[in-house]
Amino acid sequence: MNTLSRTDLEALAAKPEGDPPEWIRVQLDTGGIAAGAETIFTALEHERADRRLTIPLLRTGSVGYSFADPVVEVQAAGMPRVHYGCVTPEIAARILGEHIGEHRLIDDHIIATRRRGLTLDAPVTHILVKDTSPEAGNKTGFFQFSLAEELKRRGLAERVQVVRALDLGIYDEGAVVQLLPSGVTYTNVLAPDVARIVAESVEAGKVLDDLLWKTPDKQVRIVLRNCGNIDPDSIDDYLRRAQGYQGLHRVLFKLSPEAVIAEMKASALRGRGGAGFPTWLKWQLTRAQPAAQHYVICNGDEGDPGAFMDRSVLESDPHAVLEGMMIAAYAMGASMGYFYIRAEYPRAVERIQRALDQAREAGLLGANILGSGFSFDAKIRLGAGAFVCGEETALIASIEGRRGSPSPRPPYPSVRGLWGMPTAINNVETLACIPAILLKGGAWFAGYGTEKSKGTKVFAVTGKVRNAQLVEVPIGTTLREIIYEVCGGVLDGKELKAVQTGGPSGGVIPRQHLDAPVSYESLQQLGSIMGSGGMLVMDKDDSMVEVTKFFLRFCVDESCGKCAPCRIGGYQLLQVLDRISRGRGTAGDVPLIQRICLTMQKASLCGLGQTAPNPVLSTLRYFGEEYQAFIEGGPSYARKMNKATPTAATSTKVSATP
Amino acid sequence: MNIHPSVPGPETAAADLRQYDEAALIDLLEKTEQKHGFIPRDLSEEVTRLLSVKLERLRRIQGKLDSTIRRDVQQHVSHWREEEGNLIMILHAIQNQHGYVPREVAMELSRELGVPLARIYEVITFYHYFKLQPPGAHAITVCNGTACYLKGSRDLINELSSQLGIAEGQTTADRMIHLDTVRCIGCCGMAPAVVVDGKTCGHVKTTEIAGHIASIKHLKESVA
Repeated sequence: MNTLSRTDLEALAAKPEGDPPEWIRVQLDTGGIAAGAETIFTALEHERADRRLTIPLLRTGSVGYSFADPVVEVQAAGMPRVHYGCVTPEIAARILGEHIGEHRLIDDHIIATRRRGLTLDAPVTHILVKDTSPEAGNKTGFFQFSLAEELKRRGLAERVQVVRALDLGIYDEGAVVQLLPSGVTYTNVLAPDVARIVAESVEAGKVLDDLLWKTPDKQVRIVLRNCGNIDPDSIDDYLRRAQGYQGLHRVLFKLSPEAVIAEMKASALRGRGGAGFPTWLKWQLTRAQPAAQHYVICNGDEGDPGAFMDRSVLESDPHAVLEGMMIAAYAMGASMGYFYIRAEYPRAVERIQRALDQAREAGLLGANILGSGFSFDAKIRLGAGAFVCGEETALIASIEGRRGSPSPRPPYPSVRGLWGMPTAINNVETLACIPAILLKGGAWFAGYGTEKSKGTKVFAVTGKVRNAQLVEVPIGTTLREIIYEVCGGVLDGKELKAVQTGGPSGGVIPRQHLDAPVSYESLQQLGSIMGSGGMLVMDKDDSMVEVTKFFLRFCVDESCGKCAPCRIGGYQLLQVLDRISRGRGTAGDVPLIQRICLTMQKASLCGLGQTAPNPVLSTLRYFGEEYQAFIEGGPSYARKMNKATPTAATSTKVSATP
Repeated sequence: MNIHPSVPGPETAAADLRQYDEAALIDLLEKTEQKHGFIPRDLSEEVTRLLSVKLERLRRIQGKLDSTIRRDVQQHVSHWREEEGNLIMILHAIQNQHGYVPREVAMELSRELGVPLARIYEVITFYHYFKLQPPGAHAITVCNGTACYLKGSRDLINELSSQLGIAEGQTTADRMIHLDTVRCIGCCGMAPAVVVDGKTCGHVKTTEIAGHIASIKHLKESVA
């Protein structure tokens, strides 16, 4: 790629490129590749060559449907754009044969989670159908059959195809029927409605108001805006199709650093790493510190087990993170940036490295960028598997090539950070928001969210949930909406027990608080934290004492050992918990736990030790009776409990959801 | 000179003895002495000569190894020389090359960087990613992230260690299979996940473990 100039970028902004009319996109992120997306890609390539087709086969990142990996998105002329999930090589062959060749959709693999239409603006070509009743004696086949019969009776069978869907993003609403391409969705459809749907909607183009699903999609995609839509390995794609580096252009030529910070203040974006410190303030403090050199660091050390938002963003939209970092650097007067990424994410490292190389080649990194007088360059530093390195001062120590031991704050990194220079550390997700904010304005971003927490937040919803996936919702959405309406509720229709947020430093939120809006403040009130965005669903089979032990063991393993409260307190706490879980606890153990927790919270040096007791305290608060039962029940009860928990790995039953 | 038929003469010795290794040569000397009560001078001279040749060759190999290590370390260091705080990145490069950080390499690195060996080990032992033991030929890694834990990664680890006869973090006696756990590989959508030789398998069940082990063993046999 040739060096870009200012005018090139302006020309691109004036003429954004639309989507080509035909393509197949394979989502190749770590999760997808693990599920076999590479095989699917080669299968598609071979099949395309065999059939002498020319449809472009593209690589892209993940849109977030982890439950259905590998995912392939298809756009063909005259067909609705659809995602196929759980694709096998055989399905890949059918995509080319039936979808592209015969203009027929494929049964049982379509995900149409986010498509919602209210008007029939185009004639119906395909009908998706799925029975979403929980008991699902599955009537999907019946509805498919009766719709097809009705169409045949009216002579429409040639024009309209009825397809069984994999997931429609609507749950427990009876039979759901979606008309494509408009996306008009009917729920709780009963057998007598079939004739009406065909006669009035398909034939006459009238929307049946009594059946219409009016609830709009809960998700708002700002951070994930390009994920799954662009090729992460191509700066060209980002520039042409995702308004790439236009935010940077606006910043460099139209705004002063102060104005950038003012725009960030208007957006009220808070750090997405967990603590929720206002981003603009962090930048201003760093900027205000006089020094020869300022640094900006992207914290991609996503250590929370069970969270994969940062990995997904780094892998699916690396240029957006880089652009965000450059804007941050401009606002703070930094000329050097570091990506600190876990070595366990080799693909993320590779894609960021490629993004850096491409940007450097295009003249977007280096001296005097686009002739603006602003110089900036960035490098990658690998993490090496230490949870504590997510903590700012430990992260800096690690970049400097030392043990990742935290040091007391103040001085904060914004005063004395990397190599003693003022440094701002921003999370991957925070940086990915920034280009969009600078492009659309802070006020637009602040339009989402609650009074105190603005914007959207990405959550990785995993555990015992039906559709484990990445979800981006405005802050203030309730847990119930996220888990039940977006992700389809608990796996196998079991009863939800609690939701764990914030990883090992977070806490659990029990069922009775499911209607709490998710924001920094409300989660703190409930004894948990927002954290980086991991959200684990637990059903009634999960023992809280065991889960707590798991998290605590994690923190004890990860304690760097520098300060006594964390090193000794964590170990002692684990001993007590272990005693209780073996039925050997005593009545004095609960107050003892509380005392140790308090000491750790008050006296530990860094966030790791201060928050390690969170899971213990929050489970004690909401599930104290489980601890009591272990203490009172003695060893026999403990043995019974430890045996009685079947897990997915041991159960012989094949789960209903693929 | 009265040479016993069973004692190799110098003419034949040169041809035969060259195939003997050090232990066999010494063994031969001992046997000869037991049998005859003395060692013929030409035999002892020939053995001494052969041993010194072998020793010289060993020294050369050792020297070559040392210089390979030195050259490798120098290469890694020169790549990162200009960077501040390069130690961790160099260690990553070394681990990528060897699969672990061998002691000799760490010592060479200490000389090259002018950093005390203790400081290098301080860093290596702090981070989970760096290994001090050579890995097995094949690796089975069980993800122990929270999502995998909830879906039974513990059972998978138990099943694996009972079938392989090793605990997590250990390698089988034939150095073939290394069993380990990892914090989280970020594939929570397909929990519980197991990584077999870099290939991630999702939704793994305990009943499938035997198959994974068999596939590795099969691979091993087909290579052998």
